[in-house]
Amino acid sequence: MAGKRTTTARNQHQPPPSPPNPNPNRRRRAAASDPAPDERPSKRMLAFHFLRALARIHSTTPAPRRPRTIRRAAYSSMARAASPRRAWTQALLRQARARRVVARSSRRAVLLRRRVSAAAPPAPPLMLRASSAGETSSAPTPPPAPAAVAARGPPPRQAGDPARADALRRLVPGGAEMEYCSLLDETADYVRCLREQVQLMQSLVDLFSAQRSSIAQQPNQ
Amino acid sequence: MSSRRSSSRGNISEDEINELISKLQALLPSSRRRGSGQASTTKLLKETCSYIKSLHREVDDLSDRLSDLMSTMDHNSPGAEIIRSILRS
Repeated sequence: MAGKRTTTARNQHQPPPSPPNPNPNRRRRAAASDPAPDERPSKRMLAFHFLRALARIHSTTPAPRRPRTIRRAAYSSMARAASPRRAWTQALLRQARARRVVARSSRRAVLLRRRVSAAAPPAPPLMLRASSAGETSSAPTPPPAPAAVAARGPPPRQAGDPARADALRRLVPGGAEMEYCSLLDETADYVRCLREQVQLMQSLVDLFSAQRSSIAQQPNQ
Repeated sequence: MSSRRSSSRGNISEDEINELISKLQALLPSSRRRGSGQASTTKLLKETCSYIKSLHREVDDLSDRLSDLMSTMDHNSPGAEIIRSILRS
């Protein structure tokens, strides 16, 4: 996969992502609704963030926890590479931050809980879910749904299809609070970025497995 | 039933919603097979939900595979060297 190498080589010239743009851009984009070039997620930034996270994971995370950490890193790097003024990226990064903060403070709580084996954890539900997802459970964690964050209020009144948009709201990060119109917009962007992320991960898997098989064929190994 | 009660919202017109929905439809994989006619909103939303779910599943699956590959990866291969040097700079 030489293409992967060249895209990462170009990262040297790519500056870090700019801070969130002011609001007028959003209004202008919503009104014009044309596919501006900055709507498309940049593959370089995706590769850069994800590879960086992978390198960090490789050096720090022990093997049993890696799939979950890689999955979270995928969503976080996707959110970082995409436009920061998107609601779903903000929601994803918020969840990641909350999870990190809670994970640090909950490790001690988890150890205490294990010793005492109390039924009720001395922590808000957020900690329970995050710690059980991060520390103890072997069950597959759900996708980063907004339900994992502390419960927000009821979804706002919306025009259109409340019942059917409900499922969509659960799937798109931060979707619970959006208006119907923004939900559609965010969903489109989210799907675009998700697709890019999946392609990136697929290329990485191909690259690594090709490397591994080529190494296995070397006689002097 | 694709009726939308957008009259309660003065600033969002039905055309905008239609446009957003058609943009969403263009993203779905099924739209390339069909002639991309006007599908009903319900079907579209359902398809979008299942598509997003399948993408999530793919991310999960690829994360598993990546973690397997990373554990057995050779650290001194040229590819890893390139990636490392780029990430360092």
